[in-house]
Amino acid sequence: MDIKNLEKEQNEGIESLPSDERRKFLQMGLAVTGVFLGGTLLSLTSVSTAKGRNADPAIPADGQYPYTKHYGMIMRQNHCVGCEKCMDACVETNNVQIGHGAWRTTIQERLTPLDSGREKREFRPILCNQCNRPPCVRVCPTKATYKDPETGIIVMDDKKCIGCKTCMAACPYNARYYSHAKHAIDKCNFCIDTLLAAGEKQTACVTSCPAHVRVFGDLKDTSSEIYKLLHKPDNKIWVIRPDCGALPNVFYMNA
Amino acid sequence: MMKIIFIASGITLLAGSFLLVSNAAATDDYDVKAFGPKSPIVWTKPAKTSFEHRPHTDVAGLECKACHGEIFAMQRGVAQKTGKFTMASLADGMFCGACHDGKRAFASDTKCAACHKIPDDPIVWTKPVKAVVFFHETHGEKSDLKCVSCHDGTFPMQVGVAEKSSNFTMKSIYEGRYCGACHDGDTAFAANTRCNTCHIGRKGYDRLMGRDPYAEKDGH
Repeated sequence: MDIKNLEKEQNEGIESLPSDERRKFLQMGLAVTGVFLGGTLLSLTSVSTAKGRNADPAIPADGQYPYTKHYGMIMRQNHCVGCEKCMDACVETNNVQIGHGAWRTTIQERLTPLDSGREKREFRPILCNQCNRPPCVRVCPTKATYKDPETGIIVMDDKKCIGCKTCMAACPYNARYYSHAKHAIDKCNFCIDTLLAAGEKQTACVTSCPAHVRVFGDLKDTSSEIYKLLHKPDNKIWVIRPDCGALPNVFYMNA
Repeated sequence: MMKIIFIASGITLLAGSFLLVSNAAATDDYDVKAFGPKSPIVWTKPAKTSFEHRPHTDVAGLECKACHGEIFAMQRGVAQKTGKFTMASLADGMFCGACHDGKRAFASDTKCAACHKIPDDPIVWTKPVKAVVFFHETHGEKSDLKCVSCHDGTFPMQVGVAEKSSNFTMKSIYEGRYCGACHDGDTAFAANTRCNTCHIGRKGYDRLMGRDPYAEKDGH
């Protein structure tokens, strides 16, 4: 049989494979990915390239945080009820001039029709993902937006911004808008200049959330709630658009 | 001669009355004077309630005076302005309770839906968060629940009462109050699961109110 057609065959799973057999393959540096054709064929791959979900490079490995304080946020997504109190608090705290669809954080809604005639409703809060490899920073012609080396937060230097909107086009998360009040691009900065600068530990959206959806904190602080959630064994974590390679610092989970 | 006149006028009157009756029957046989107002009386406070005159007058044979006087003012809106127009006062023999005592007529704490219409539209709460919906249809018709299962022990029927209370929160629901009386994971799905079955969010609320939730907010 042509080995290329193997993937078209039904994978019978690896449960039937005796653990002794599996161990032998692992010792050879191979991982068993499936059993095909009644056990006459095995699918093997080298362990170094076999990566499961937890090996996803979009989720940072413990201790690999490049910034002095490495701020991030984790969303307990299924707890979001779409009340948008976070949006109100953000607008008020950060003086976001609403209109023209301006937001620093918003709630996305997905409705899926169910057989019962009702709809399944899901909400997802989004904001700037404060990426480790931020496309917005790379494209800015005037270095008006940059990664703050102290906190890892992507901030704006309004005076340098020429309003060319290239960063808006580059952002994989659509998290930037042109502020007609500032005559510059504006974006979420984890309240760095409003609340964090005043000694607060939490952002406006976190404090206003009635369902404790958003968990904000320093990924380097091993005692922080975000660290614990992110590194809890078997806790399934995902990010939005991992394929874009921006290495976001906003994570999602179901609590 | 006089006899002839009498008979003639008698026949005319008789024919006339037949004509009147047949005319009435052709258009509408509802006698407002005998039966009372045709359209139902609807009270909105403290809870939506309707009353039909005809079953009480034409069918049950009551005179207007039986109720209008001491029990119910004929003037519109007086009963609900008294502030005493509640199920509790009915149980004490006031208003409808004068007859609906379980002896003369069915007791006021039975057959709720005879007077109270089960709302077709969802109940929508906007506090403490926007917004939560409740469908009577899912809870009544599709389960064994009766009106009294929730009203008024668990949930006041009066619009807005639960919402005004400071303990109308998820915390008190987890403690078994309000929806938590059943939504405990045992009788019905636990209140800390399936959040968005009831929580429709601000976008859902806008849509319910006939507004486009994305009219101003979407896009950059």
